[in-house]
Amino acid sequence: MSPLIAGAIHDAKNGLNVLNTWLEEARRAAPSAAIDEARAVAARVSAQLVELLALYRAGEDTLRLAIEDHDLTDFCQEVTSEVILPPGSALRIESDTDAAAAIGAWAFDAYQVKLVLQEALRNAVRHGAQHIRFAVAAQAGGGLRFTVSDDGPGFPQEVLDGEARAMDSDSSGIGLVFARLIANRHATPGGRHGRIELSNDGGAVFALLLP
Amino acid sequence: MDLSKLNALLIDDIPEMRSSVRIQLADCGLERCDTARNVKEAVDRISAKRYDLIVCDYNLGQGADGQQLLELVRRRKILPLTTVFLMITGETGYEQVSTAAEYAPDDYLIKPFTSQTLQTRLDRIIDKKQALRPVYQHLGERGERQKALAECDAMLAQQSRYALDLLRIKGDLLLETQRNDEALALYQSVLDQRATPWASVGMARALAAKGDGAAAKEHLSNAIGAYPNYLAAYDSLASLLEKDDSAAAQQVVEQALKVAPSTQRQRQLGALALGNKDFSRAEEAFRRTVEKDRTGFFKSHDDYSGLAKSRVEQGKVQEALTAIKEMGQHFARSAELTVRQAAVESIVHAKAGNPAAAKAALDRALEAAGTNSDIDVSASLELANACFAAGDQDQAKRILKNVAEDHQENDAVLEQAQAVFRSAGLDDEGEIFLEATRERMIRLNNDAVALAKSGELDKASAMLDEAADRLHNNAQVAINAAIAAMMRIQRQGASAELIDKAHRYITQANRANPDHPRLGEAVQLYRKFAPPDAPPLKVNL
Repeated sequence: MSPLIAGAIHDAKNGLNVLNTWLEEARRAAPSAAIDEARAVAARVSAQLVELLALYRAGEDTLRLAIEDHDLTDFCQEVTSEVILPPGSALRIESDTDAAAAIGAWAFDAYQVKLVLQEALRNAVRHGAQHIRFAVAAQAGGGLRFTVSDDGPGFPQEVLDGEARAMDSDSSGIGLVFARLIANRHATPGGRHGRIELSNDGGAVFALLLP
Repeated sequence: MDLSKLNALLIDDIPEMRSSVRIQLADCGLERCDTARNVKEAVDRISAKRYDLIVCDYNLGQGADGQQLLELVRRRKILPLTTVFLMITGETGYEQVSTAAEYAPDDYLIKPFTSQTLQTRLDRIIDKKQALRPVYQHLGERGERQKALAECDAMLAQQSRYALDLLRIKGDLLLETQRNDEALALYQSVLDQRATPWASVGMARALAAKGDGAAAKEHLSNAIGAYPNYLAAYDSLASLLEKDDSAAAQQVVEQALKVAPSTQRQRQLGALALGNKDFSRAEEAFRRTVEKDRTGFFKSHDDYSGLAKSRVEQGKVQEALTAIKEMGQHFARSAELTVRQAAVESIVHAKAGNPAAAKAALDRALEAAGTNSDIDVSASLELANACFAAGDQDQAKRILKNVAEDHQENDAVLEQAQAVFRSAGLDDEGEIFLEATRERMIRLNNDAVALAKSGELDKASAMLDEAADRLHNNAQVAINAAIAAMMRIQRQGASAELIDKAHRYITQANRANPDHPRLGEAVQLYRKFAPPDAPPLKVNL
């Protein structure tokens, strides 16, 4: 990918930011379901552009994560509060973050991990029926596990087998590629790396494990 | 949280951004908000008024950034640790902010953000600052580390929600007070629970302080592998390598510069490259330090001096002289500047093969230095450099002896003095010379104690007075001179002269090194023996 393309992604991202400001403005003046739908689309496209940029930089070897301590309770709250649910839908995000308070803080790149988790949540919103669960827990043997699960049809077998990236034919599957990249880039000096785990259990279960 | 009573300062060079962030701050209830458009205005405002909160954009124009500003005001000690510093950054700038090593902002916010997000973040960081206030108030320039440590322990015992922040501060304090075993245990126990960059680097620093440099280096290399953005790991590794492998140290600093550009590290790279005789790289590094910063706030004499030296080594004599001229244009007139310029000029002429011009410039430098006894270390060392370059070894050694005696307990200065010998090709001789100086200073203090014990207190006191009057930066000598004066008060009765002496030497020691472990002893004696009408001590003990 050339720097020109990276620059174009940047421009598009900035354009979306302006669009978002106008949408917020419009919503304040006269809220409507159509505006909320538009905001959700803008948020999704904006996230995908950031993911694309991260993949570009990984290819250029200039992607470096900013690993710092973050309060997990605050972080989980931020992750879920920014996801826009479709207007009038019966969907609810249930957070199970009791473990967050007990764990306290954890070191990770909050910006990138937030993108991964919000992408997973948006996916769950698209495919889930009623309940979406967002949970965080300490891993036995060290590490942290974020889980996003829904009650939809679950991951297709090709995705679970790692043969396909996309949930359906109209998606590029960049979300999973990005999630794998960010998970793997989380490492410890001892050589442990993060990873993602996909499974089906009454719906799709997406897990991000951080070392 | 009620923010209406807080004093805030908003720093941004773009007027539209200033007004939009200001509206968002008002949405959060912050009414008292001053603004600054650039580094100069910001520094003026921060010096004049005490702010509770500073909101600063990363990009400040004119080649200056918010991180440089934060480092400047923290290093100059005009921004107390109790003030919250929030950095605002674009998506691409956030890495640079989040990688800051020594002086990190309390939090950063990535644009665009809503007033709601701003409010949430402000509530959070202000709550944290307030919770940690009992510790912060004992940190910083006039801080007392023992009290800060006690506060950390008290809050940790109460299961503070900021336990990890407290452990991080405590680890730093333990290392600063050489309680290395405890520091090591602290970092190990943190790392047993979770991997986190600061504890990895802390662990390495504790290992290095305990003398296990090899293990420390291995730890730091692994930390850089896992946390390629964490600059403290590069800084620690470079400073360990500087002692025995300056080529490797240079490589580490180059790597760090790829992560985040910084004037400080660019300068460090220049100095290392100069020492490694990598002159074109050195010139490049120094050129960047002087060119990047068009505000003039972050430059130092060292940058121009390094630029001149690296140029003349490549045969660029005229360009080297230009750098010296520019040094004069960028800084206010001072004795140090005069000495520095003339000394570097002498070095340039000597290297270019003009001994007469070198001699003339050196004479000017020596004359300017001669009238000023308190000239700073870097100007003195430059003068010694120039003496060596001009072939006047005796004069060079006289200057270096004085610097070494004056800064006997400051390893960083002694290392710089050794570097002057090294660049003159006298590495071994320098080591012997500096070791002899160190032994002479220890002997002076020991001899004085022995004399005092054998009843010759006046003689001991006179010896120490002479040294203390000459060596204004040597806290050890000043403390001993003060103690001798007070022993005389105890035995011979108080006199105005002796009280004045004791007071003066304690003040001198406190200025030289407020953390000196024996300063407290001298202060206690003063409070015990000085009569009630004696002038009070302005020390924080």
